[in-house]
Amino acid sequence: MKLPKLPVYGPSLWGLGGSLLLLGGVAPWIPVFPLIILVNLLIFAALAYSLNLITGLTGYVNFGHVVFMAVGAYSLGYSVETLRWHPLGGVALGALTALVVSLGIGAVTLRFRGVYFAIASLVTPLAGLNIVLVLPALDDGQGIVLNPAFEPLSWFYTIWIIIAAEVGLTYWITHGRLGYGIRAIKSDEDAAKSLGVNAPHLKLFLFALSGLFAGAAGGVYAWTTSGVFPYAAFDLTFSLLMLAMIVIGGMGTLLGPMIGAVIVNLLSRFFLAIFIGTQFIIIGLVVIVIALFIPEGIVGTLRKYVPELRRILE
Amino acid sequence: MLRLDGIHAGYDGTQVLRDVTLTAEEGATTVLIGPNGAGKSTTLKVVNGLVRPTRGHVVFRGDDITRMPAHARPDKGIAACPEGRRLFPLLTTEGNLRLGAYTKRARSSADETLAYVYELFPRLRERARVKAGRLSGGEQQMVGIGRALMSKPSILVLDEPSLGLAPKLVSEIFVKIRKLREAGLTVLMVEQNAYAALRIADFGYVMQNGHVVKSGPPAELLDLEDLRKTYFAIP
Amino acid sequence: MSPTLEASGIHKYFGGVKAVQGVSLTLGGGRIVGLIGPNGSGKSTLLNVLAGVEKPTKGTVTVDGRRVDRWPAHRMVGLGIAKTHQIPKPFLAMTGRENVAVAMMYGRRREAEPAAALEESLRILALVGLEGRADTPASNLSVQQRKRLEFARALATGASLLLLDEIFAGLSPEELRDAISLFTRVQKELGFGALVVEHVMQAVMTLSDHVVVIEEGRKIAEGSPKEVVENPAVIEAYLGTEATDAAP
Repeated sequence: MKLPKLPVYGPSLWGLGGSLLLLGGVAPWIPVFPLIILVNLLIFAALAYSLNLITGLTGYVNFGHVVFMAVGAYSLGYSVETLRWHPLGGVALGALTALVVSLGIGAVTLRFRGVYFAIASLVTPLAGLNIVLVLPALDDGQGIVLNPAFEPLSWFYTIWIIIAAEVGLTYWITHGRLGYGIRAIKSDEDAAKSLGVNAPHLKLFLFALSGLFAGAAGGVYAWTTSGVFPYAAFDLTFSLLMLAMIVIGGMGTLLGPMIGAVIVNLLSRFFLAIFIGTQFIIIGLVVIVIALFIPEGIVGTLRKYVPELRRILE
Repeated sequence: MLRLDGIHAGYDGTQVLRDVTLTAEEGATTVLIGPNGAGKSTTLKVVNGLVRPTRGHVVFRGDDITRMPAHARPDKGIAACPEGRRLFPLLTTEGNLRLGAYTKRARSSADETLAYVYELFPRLRERARVKAGRLSGGEQQMVGIGRALMSKPSILVLDEPSLGLAPKLVSEIFVKIRKLREAGLTVLMVEQNAYAALRIADFGYVMQNGHVVKSGPPAELLDLEDLRKTYFAIP
Repeated sequence: MSPTLEASGIHKYFGGVKAVQGVSLTLGGGRIVGLIGPNGSGKSTLLNVLAGVEKPTKGTVTVDGRRVDRWPAHRMVGLGIAKTHQIPKPFLAMTGRENVAVAMMYGRRREAEPAAALEESLRILALVGLEGRADTPASNLSVQQRKRLEFARALATGASLLLLDEIFAGLSPEELRDAISLFTRVQKELGFGALVVEHVMQAVMTLSDHVVVIEEGRKIAEGSPKEVVENPAVIEAYLGTEATDAAP
């Protein structure tokens, strides 16, 4: 009997997957403080991967991505505080609610192209904020304060599962038939449609996935910060940070969001310590430099100019 | 007045014109007819400077203007009325017309020229304050020609003036173009409507596949069978 | 296998502009139908309505009896109807092979394995003489090569009815001869039907089984190529009113 051939996965996937597995293995032994920092980093990486699924892959710039994060955060807040659920349930609810919201938003906004989509997406966090501020169920925007147990290891493994799922899904999507359809849409949406690519469906599918994962990550974020406050939750700055991460790392790549998250996180922490607010200036400058000189981001540029790395890096 | 000598030209790797040679005599109305895709519009673009020929020369009143940029040509005396008119829809009729007197040379006598245009096209005087976007096709064509006239040209270059116009209007416009000739203006016109064009022409060129295949006075070109064969590529 | 597309009373208005006014025609069965008409007559608009890129303002389009006038372009591909663009739209960052592979994966065949699609693509590229450029990025292809790629992609969707928008435009006499013989060869081998919207008369007259003439959005004549060019209405449309007075 012939054994089925093992699928060949790319080096990047092995590298990333291996690193994640390693981290997962040693996590129980990581001291608390670094663990918390690591969790924070992974939350942002998860958010970056989620944005990558729509903006990175299709080029549709979603300035409103923070909405999904906020929905996830509020879902967790509400389910833990009012429904008395375990936070994990809250995270799952966050993912689910964000999925529904993303389907609703996407069905409308994805009809627009380019700049118009971007502008429409910019409106959604403002709308979301104002809706939350008047919802009685959410105390009319007072925010939700939680008193969960301090469990960094649980936080870690939750976000770890989320990232693993995202990485696996990103790989699977980009390597199969869907990957070609997506690249076709990004290159020329009309031409893609004329060849049978169901662009509306595919875009909505990716948009919904991005919402799902951002919601989950948002839920974990609320869990780790023990609270959800409207102005902070719907802060556009989050959207911009996430965009910065994928731009710096390389839009649409497998490694890009992780690399971008690490860089942005490090820069944030470093400059935050020097003077609050400077981190945004620095990150903004880095994005400008990247956009001007290496628009494909770190991973994209390396792939472009170093052919030997093309088979390894993606 | 205007001569094209051995012009080769094209866009983006596609060669459209192959060895085109023609002359527009001073004071005459010269027409360029032929099927769609023959290169008639491209020829005019070479005259206006919108397309740079890869080979050959464009000579205007003895000067080689082959390399002269498009925006410098109106000042030299070459005025264009492009295909589809390309008016500014939000400006009034008069606004569009006055814009034609953009060059210094024309600006000083703008009022005078405007009066002349209104005399030629009385309908435009009535519609002077109407936004160009609301004018009918025929009126728009009149504005297009009028605007070109405002620059006080030595030669008027028209690209498919009959486009989108009902037959009656076509005759009307062409009668006016004929009037310009009486005023001594040189006209170079591209037309798909061969017969209407030949009726007011002094000389004609027939183009096919980027090349001039026949030329002569209208009477010689008004052979229906011959034209039919050219237009429908019947061997 | 070839679907029959029937367009009935198609009107298409863009605001105040009546681009197509009451045109009906039938396509299918491996027939080549030429669609000609003077500049601005509405040919491309009509093609876009048939392809599902535009919805008709009035009128119906049916394929084998099924109403498809509200169907989007990608669904029409599933029925075996594919269009090409007047100005080729290749996926510039992808190679010739990848461009064709997209068509194979999303066209009628819905090839699930990218590897298989990439392999098969070579065969289609060879049909149009582009096998040598299979692994060149489309951005490096000349205009003529892009037109061939456009054609190859439409073929790769597995379409049995092609809607070709000025595919013979801008070719030199020699290139035109080659293109016409290529088309004939491929059509004979694959047996598709087509609507050929054209200005280049040589191509239309040589290749068409049937010709439809449109002027100002209305059908003014149809018939065999020979019939059409002897039709006074057609002559008048192209050469002007006085032409018919001068006709023998």
